[in-house]
Amino acid sequence: MKNENQNQDVKEKNNSAFKFVRRDFLKLISFTSISSVFPKFASAKDDFRNDKNIPKQYIQNRDIPGFHIRSANPFMGVDMGNWRLAISGMVKNPIAMSYEDLFGMKMVSQVSRLKCVECWSAKAKWEGFHFSELVEKLQPDATAKFVYIQSADSYYESFTLEELLRPRVLFVLRMDGQPLSRDHGYPLRLIAPFKYGYKNIKYITSIKFLDTRKRNYWSNSGPYSVDGTIQPGIDHPLDFDKKPLPINGGEVFHFFDKRPLA
Amino acid sequence: MTKNLIEHATIVKPFTFFFFFFLLSCDSYEVVQIKVEIPAGIEIPEKMIYIPAGDFIMGHEEEPRTRLGKLVSSAAYFIDRYEVSHIKYKNVQPNHTFSPKSALYPVTHLSYFEALDYCKALDKRLPTEIEWEKAARGTDGRKWPWRLYVDHPNNGFSGFMSEPVDKRKEWISPYGVYGMGHNVWEWIDEVYTYPGQPENESELFKVIRGGLLQTHITIKFSPTYFRNWMKPDSKLNFIGFRCAKDVE
Repeated sequence: MKNENQNQDVKEKNNSAFKFVRRDFLKLISFTSISSVFPKFASAKDDFRNDKNIPKQYIQNRDIPGFHIRSANPFMGVDMGNWRLAISGMVKNPIAMSYEDLFGMKMVSQVSRLKCVECWSAKAKWEGFHFSELVEKLQPDATAKFVYIQSADSYYESFTLEELLRPRVLFVLRMDGQPLSRDHGYPLRLIAPFKYGYKNIKYITSIKFLDTRKRNYWSNSGPYSVDGTIQPGIDHPLDFDKKPLPINGGEVFHFFDKRPLA
Repeated sequence: MTKNLIEHATIVKPFTFFFFFFLLSCDSYEVVQIKVEIPAGIEIPEKMIYIPAGDFIMGHEEEPRTRLGKLVSSAAYFIDRYEVSHIKYKNVQPNHTFSPKSALYPVTHLSYFEALDYCKALDKRLPTEIEWEKAARGTDGRKWPWRLYVDHPNNGFSGFMSEPVDKRKEWISPYGVYGMGHNVWEWIDEVYTYPGQPENESELFKVIRGGLLQTHITIKFSPTYFRNWMKPDSKLNFIGFRCAKDVE
């Protein structure tokens, strides 16, 4: 009797498994058909755009579940035919570096969290180079204590030189084992893990060494500080179902994050 | 009858609101001070405050990482009336640079070790958690040094802006100590531990006390019993310090 019941259970499980597969298959067919007839319907459902009025080809704010995208000024991305990294200001010899030149720098990788001022955070493996390499190469004037960075989407950021020389700050070319995507700042972005996301400028086009501090994009546009150091408070990590966790300020490490050894 | 009650409520509520608003916004608001008798023969160092020996309520019963609102005893000690400012720091570290406008602002971007060195150079030390919390809340278990809830004046701004160390007389503690809950966080001479702490964290952090808690554009004062933590080599814009000293 027990065996018969077990056999029956197995049959039901097998049948339900078959039904599940068939149902999914039918769903897939129906969605594919809808998307082919109404492509707008499909893109609206799965491209996570926050503002559906902005054409989907543009880089823009998207609440992609694992890693939200934030981009102040929607644009089509960098035209690599014309892209160079211009480094100037208080340096003896201003230079313009190509994308290939940047891969000549010593690559360093780290896992760190990008903490958005809007409360969420997300983690990735970043690969890039330390700013100290550029400083050695350019040898800026001793009075150049500030750095001004501009991007391809008319965004701009400002730092002290000391902040950019910290060991966890990287100029990033690759993310999670791949070249940076357009959304995440291709071809070059900054990762300064102790600063809010808005300081982590993407699509970088120029770096200037200065002896006075400039303001940054968001302090000129909203109630946000130029400094942008992550303050003690609450974080809602995307890899923890956005549940609230306390943060002590500076670079964010949650109880499930691995801290760097040094 | 019901109508009368509703009308009464609509009159009383705004009145109460404006009364408290007036009370908290005007410069004349003063924190009632604990009367302290200084024993004969004790000389109080310049710009320090004498905190007498005795019990006080430490922690909060709903905060498991604190002393749970129990009575804790302290010996007498001195604590700096103000957080250490740029100009004071330069007296000990002549190479320290700062903008003339920020001379009286708390010195920041210093590690625990640099803060400790400063205090030692003046024959002082960093305060313990017991000393810091008692100086901040007195003996009646208050949540904020000034006792009553107030909104932070910069609420709606995301970022940290410190203030001159002697600016807010209306927010002093019941012992007359400035800046214990609204300016920089302060290095404490204790390792951050709590029940159930993972072993790999047990020696990693020092305690910091008494700054602001911010989430997006919301700014809140941290309660007097709130314990924050930080790696001792961290140099951040929201961490400063003050010194303490034994009574001999």
